[in-house]
Amino acid sequence: MDSLAEELIQIKREGAAAVLATVTGADENGGVEPGQKCLVRDGKIRAGSIRDWALLQAILKEAEARLKEERSKLVPFDIPGTQGKAEVFFEVLPSPPKLIVVGAGHIAVPLVKMAKILDYHVTVLDDRLQFANRERFPDADEILVGDMAETLKGISITPWTYIVLITRGHKYDEPCLREIIHGPAKYIGMIGSRRRIKACFQRFRDEEKIAEEVIQRVHAPIGLDIRTETPEEIALSILAETIKVRRGGAAQSLSGKQ
Amino acid sequence: MDTIYDQVKEFLDKGETVAVATIVSTKGSTPREVGAKMVVTAWGEILGTIGGGCGEADVRREAIEVIRTRKPRTVRVDLLDDISSDSPAVCGGIMNVFIDPWWKEKEG
Repeated sequence: MDSLAEELIQIKREGAAAVLATVTGADENGGVEPGQKCLVRDGKIRAGSIRDWALLQAILKEAEARLKEERSKLVPFDIPGTQGKAEVFFEVLPSPPKLIVVGAGHIAVPLVKMAKILDYHVTVLDDRLQFANRERFPDADEILVGDMAETLKGISITPWTYIVLITRGHKYDEPCLREIIHGPAKYIGMIGSRRRIKACFQRFRDEEKIAEEVIQRVHAPIGLDIRTETPEEIALSILAETIKVRRGGAAQSLSGKQ
Repeated sequence: MDTIYDQVKEFLDKGETVAVATIVSTKGSTPREVGAKMVVTAWGEILGTIGGGCGEADVRREAIEVIRTRKPRTVRVDLLDDISSDSPAVCGGIMNVFIDPWWKEKEG
């Protein structure tokens, strides 16, 4: 069991995602016992005491779904090839969500502070050193200075990445959006007035032939509809929207998305 | 940040058996979510929380038994009992808590 605990600690240290499946209930026909386990990481079984091959395959498949949903759950199984039934608890050990804040202006400052409270791993990116620096962002995990769209190319983006485009103008937001719109990010939000966003999306359709369903992934105007007035309130509405997307909530987005 | 498994490992390294209690399913309103955990030691010491109050005391008692027998069990915690109580731990829901013994030599 020590090796399993070690493996779990290591996963946390690396910031990796994994699922620990534990049999919590079983009848006598299935050949498994409560307490038996199986640790799944990167689609493979890494450790554990469950030996039934068919059950392991079923667990692998379910683990993938659990990880995608980021929700731990108790799941009943018919054990393949037997009359037996088992209940398996899937504990999701999620990779910590990563927030990339593009544009280090007046909204970014409260946004990064609040994001750290929410346990995001936060990267701030701007092309101006006088904005993207430690004095303004003491809590940020990473501060990058350089051409924003160019720098985004070099950043690893996963299904646990949330990207907030709040640069000083559409001239900068658009090339950044073009860089990430086809990627696997869980959330992409872009600031701007309805009119400018509409124009931007029209250019994407006409000139770049970007498919409608790809464009529809973008949360723009960014944030939840809470009638924000100050930069701090806007930051809050943006972060609330990322949580809505992560957890599957029903609050009203300014973009009209469900 | 330390996880509950860092704490589990410390006890295992000392040769102790501990019980890991996990909320595996809930119905109605409960103080904590599915997946919340606490560790109970052989002396009844608690690390982490599954919501506090009477429910936690029941789980602690069962956990000591689980450590003694080294057999896991699921405990149903009913928070419906005393809805008029002022205790913040009374939420009105039901939760199933799986209590699992961990010790060093146990396989995976």
